[in-house]
Amino acid sequence: MEAICSAASSRCAGWMQELGEFISMSGRIVEIAVIGVMLAGTLAAETHKEFRFNVGPKAGVSVNNPYGSISVKPSTGNTVTVNAVLSSDKVEVDNNSVGNRVDVQSHLLPGADANSGRVDYEILVPADASVTLHSSTGALRAEKLRGDVTLEGAAATVDVRDINSAHLRVKTLNGAVTLTNVQDGHIEIDSLSGNVTLNAVTGPLVQVISTSGGISYIGDFGDRGEYRLTSHSGDIEATVPDSTSADVNARSVRGEVHDDIPLQPKQHTSFVPKAGSAFWGTMGRAAVSSTVVLRSFSGKIHLRKRSAK
Amino acid sequence: MNCVELQKSLFEIEDGSSAEQRAHLKSCPDCSCLVAELNLIAAAAVELQGAQEPSPRVWNSIEIALRQEGLIRPQRHGRSLLPSFGSSWGWARWIAPAAALLLVTLGFYIRQHLPSAELAKNDVKPAVADVVADPALAGLNDDDLLQEVAQQSPALLAQYSDNLKRVNEYIQDAKNTVASNPDDEEARRSLMEAYQEKAMLFELALDRSLP
Repeated sequence: MEAICSAASSRCAGWMQELGEFISMSGRIVEIAVIGVMLAGTLAAETHKEFRFNVGPKAGVSVNNPYGSISVKPSTGNTVTVNAVLSSDKVEVDNNSVGNRVDVQSHLLPGADANSGRVDYEILVPADASVTLHSSTGALRAEKLRGDVTLEGAAATVDVRDINSAHLRVKTLNGAVTLTNVQDGHIEIDSLSGNVTLNAVTGPLVQVISTSGGISYIGDFGDRGEYRLTSHSGDIEATVPDSTSADVNARSVRGEVHDDIPLQPKQHTSFVPKAGSAFWGTMGRAAVSSTVVLRSFSGKIHLRKRSAK
Repeated sequence: MNCVELQKSLFEIEDGSSAEQRAHLKSCPDCSCLVAELNLIAAAAVELQGAQEPSPRVWNSIEIALRQEGLIRPQRHGRSLLPSFGSSWGWARWIAPAAALLLVTLGFYIRQHLPSAELAKNDVKPAVADVVADPALAGLNDDDLLQEVAQQSPALLAQYSDNLKRVNEYIQDAKNTVASNPDDEEARRSLMEAYQEKAMLFELALDRSLP
């Protein structure tokens, strides 16, 4: 940090000298100097902290960070490493390790706000650890984990990728949720108004509930899983390849439904369909198919075929 | 100290039994029996917490109900709204939620262990209606929610207000659909999901994700 500040200060001094050769001493130079000092002051206010904890198999790691991002990646050993960048001295990082559990908390001090109370975390955990992340506004990211993952935040965006055989729970108010390459998962996503995008997401249970956010699924619905995508007023779009096998049941109470893929009709439905508001049937091989339920009240539902590249 | 005074004192004294309480309990078998039963409920609630942790929503609903009753004050930084089990008389404040929790757990247990044929024989609609209780009845008050957000995180108030409006529309739509198609299992499920969304809104507002 000192090196960075020193470099910034010397660079500012260099700019001032060059400018001084082209323009006369004026208020503008003073202004630039003030900006340079402020920049150096901002850099100096940031502090970096690192904590390490030794844990056993299937450890629990919990991070609560009101303002700022949290990123979790797998470590190579049985160590939890917490790297925190604190934006000011108005926030502290409290940590507690008991047994096989590590709790990290950003502790806001009096006068802290969204800027001065911000902490950005980069955390390495054993891949089999169970991870719980809370943030109000920062981005939440988790990748390459095998343990249970719970991500929760109001306006926090959520990005999860390359996770296998995990129980994944996500709750957001209006933050966008993106899942990429999440396989064999037990997945529950609740988002009130954030858009939810699932790309190559499969598992025994994939459930998305949204009030007004849109839901986009891109993938093949795996096999023998239950996929339930529900939104009150958001649009639901599922884009699947030709090889997909699924029993599909889609219905929108007031919105439109579109089906680009021919479905083999089923004799029985659990509801009385209204023309233009529902479609149902089997695509691919019924014997290995997943169950897909798409529900909306006023949003559109669109099942489309993924175009060959 | 008489019986009324003792029962009242159970809710007021947290830091241990007083000499007066102990003296009365020695001489009054009815109050002794009451305290023993309350201890049993509190102990069962503790075991339930460890063995079958309920959803945070349960605690949030209890918290909201307690706040409406004026039994607890709004949340402050670094201090839980919920009373601790640690103090020997702290359990007294848990009597109502613990009893409610036991009833809910018992209800779920009975429902899960009833044969499906027996469930089918019973009228399903009232059962679903029981599960999907109106949030207002469960103590989920919109004004309280917005007031809490305004205190804790004013910058998010507009977002919460907007989402609250949307989720109420969701619930109303789902209710209307159930009313027009009472035998539609999917419609009832949608209504439950709509309530689930509202419960999550309260959970996000009251849980630790807020600054």
